[in-house]
Amino acid sequence: MQKKAGPLFYVFLAAFVFFVMFPFLWILLSSVKPLSELFGDKAFNWFTSHPTLKSYVSVFVNYPFLRYLWNSTVVATITTVYTVFVAAFAAYAIARLEFKGKAIILGIVLAVSMFPQIATISPIYMFVKKFGLTNSYLGLIIPYTTFALPLSIWLLVTFFRKIPFDLEEAAKMDGATPMQTYFKVILPLAVLGVFTTSILVFIAAWNEFLFSLTINTAEKYKTVPVGIAMFQGQYTIPWGEISAATVIVTIPLVIMVLLFQRRIVSGLTSGSVKE
Amino acid sequence: MKKEASMRNEKRTERILGYSLVAPAMLLILAVAIWPVIQSFYYSLFDYRLNDPTKSSIHLNYSLDLEGYLQNYPFLKSALKREMATADENAKEKLSDVEQKLQKMDKTIRANEEVANRYDQVDEALNNFESPSDDIKIVELDKQAANQFTDAVHDVVKTLEQMRDAGELKQPDKVVGLAQGLKDVIIEPNFVGLKHYKDSLSDMRLWKALWNTTVFTVISVAAELVLGLAIALLINKAFFGRGLVRATILIPWAIPTAVSALMWKFLYDGQNGIVAKYFEDIGLVNRMGDLLTTDIGAMFAVIFADVWKTTPYMALLLLAGLQTIPSSLYEAASIDGATKWQQFTKITLPLLKSSILVALLFRTLDAFRVFDLIYVLTGGGPANSTETISILAYKVMFSQTNFGGGSALAVIVFICVAIISIIYIKLLGADLLSDGASAKK
Repeated sequence: MQKKAGPLFYVFLAAFVFFVMFPFLWILLSSVKPLSELFGDKAFNWFTSHPTLKSYVSVFVNYPFLRYLWNSTVVATITTVYTVFVAAFAAYAIARLEFKGKAIILGIVLAVSMFPQIATISPIYMFVKKFGLTNSYLGLIIPYTTFALPLSIWLLVTFFRKIPFDLEEAAKMDGATPMQTYFKVILPLAVLGVFTTSILVFIAAWNEFLFSLTINTAEKYKTVPVGIAMFQGQYTIPWGEISAATVIVTIPLVIMVLLFQRRIVSGLTSGSVKE
Repeated sequence: MKKEASMRNEKRTERILGYSLVAPAMLLILAVAIWPVIQSFYYSLFDYRLNDPTKSSIHLNYSLDLEGYLQNYPFLKSALKREMATADENAKEKLSDVEQKLQKMDKTIRANEEVANRYDQVDEALNNFESPSDDIKIVELDKQAANQFTDAVHDVVKTLEQMRDAGELKQPDKVVGLAQGLKDVIIEPNFVGLKHYKDSLSDMRLWKALWNTTVFTVISVAAELVLGLAIALLINKAFFGRGLVRATILIPWAIPTAVSALMWKFLYDGQNGIVAKYFEDIGLVNRMGDLLTTDIGAMFAVIFADVWKTTPYMALLLLAGLQTIPSSLYEAASIDGATKWQQFTKITLPLLKSSILVALLFRTLDAFRVFDLIYVLTGGGPANSTETISILAYKVMFSQTNFGGGSALAVIVFICVAIISIIYIKLLGADLLSDGASAKK
């Protein structure tokens, strides 16, 4: 914070933001072009003189896109709620209670979060197949635990640790049991941390590709990333619809990121920075 | 004394509470993450293929498919009876010999009470036109019985084929067909030991994939680190619109990788892609089409897309690290006459070391197991030039339905990731896991 920003700095900043946003910008512009202007010599014109919403209509009429959105919402929400719930207890214990083996437990959590998905996919696929869970929500929620739970625990531990220890001492003095301390003192203070963790877990579950691609192959149960990726046919790629669908999934993300950017950044950087 | 005892008691309750709060999460992790990895390793020791019914599960021992057996044996028996009714003396003798062999074989199978029991269950199910479940229809045999069975079937088939060729059978195709059906009912153990590893490690395709993965990881992570650090240094100051910039750089990170890959596929398109056109205009590629159709072009395209998506994330991690460096250090250094470069190498880099290492660790591992981006953008092509090890493992598992071989590759990915983590953690020391609470004291 020592330096003051000069005009040159803002020029750089504008160029940087433009570079980062350019792909989205182009997709946005393409999504309102009529089909004829997506190909051929007009393909490189920035603006179309005949803007149309045909691609947007097509996405919903010709593809079960609404269904994809709903599937992703259901799977990501349930995954988030249940893993954060389970993780909150574990994280509290790791961050706040005295018992042996905490470092090992945290080490296992961290190690599991580094597991490559491909190393777990064949047994998990056989498992969901055996229990008839392919093409169901549960068939994704169970495998999503593999990355959502370690992520939740890891983030929540760092948030719980930030709460001053004096508060707990005081509660103990007043004769509160550890569980009372948890619900009455710690949890209210950790609400923001729990919220941040939930956002990050939700995004991770929403974006997941490999399990979703393998386990839910029926149109009715595809999630958004797989659904859009499978828009491409064998010979033709419907770029108009793909652009429109991309815009549709990006807009809510942009809103969410604008609203919660502070929280997201604190979540992303917690655990990586020693204060 | 009393106080001490109550203290100890309290400690004990706290410990029990601690373990019981951690237990559900740890059990879940064990069940959905650790156990599957162990199973992957186990699968990799078998010739396990989903498209081949005799290899579609794991068999350590010889076993018999009772369903297949009972769909052939009774019909073969009655077909032989019919043949015998009309055959001449010579043929009759051969046929009765065959029949005896088969009966002896059937008896051997049913000698075991448990097997006989299942035999009847499967028979009943088949008579009711139901298909018996896997648990019932597959029975284990010892090696000797299995070999006897195979030999007997072999003899029977040979005799019947000879008779068919000699024109001694009335319904040659039916009889021989039924006898041959019995060949497939013995399921051999598909344990192959480390064969998949040996095959993989001597296959150029694996080494190519490992090389591609390494190239992708090293170049993209290095580019992300340099760019991310530059951006972090530049925006580490007070300026107007800070929140907006931060939100902007979060968006590439937040959108699904598969969606961003598809977006780049459009931008890289050989005929209509705007980025491909600009790259051609500035001379980065010879022709627009080169970007996705040549080896180097495709690798560059994939790395560029990855750098675009994750540099912002890297910058944020490093920015957070930068903000923990007290500005008084820089003030003191500039009073002592240190140049900007000296300040960077003597203050910024050493104090940022652990942040950089943590960011590198997460990014290296993510890049090493890359899947979505490449799967959607190039599918591993052209000519496997962007095929990474995860993509290869996926293709072997789900396109070739070779779960054994694919699992071996998955285990190789796992081992590589483990090695990378260990190296980084050694470099980081115990920093990463240190208990924040005790460190503060």
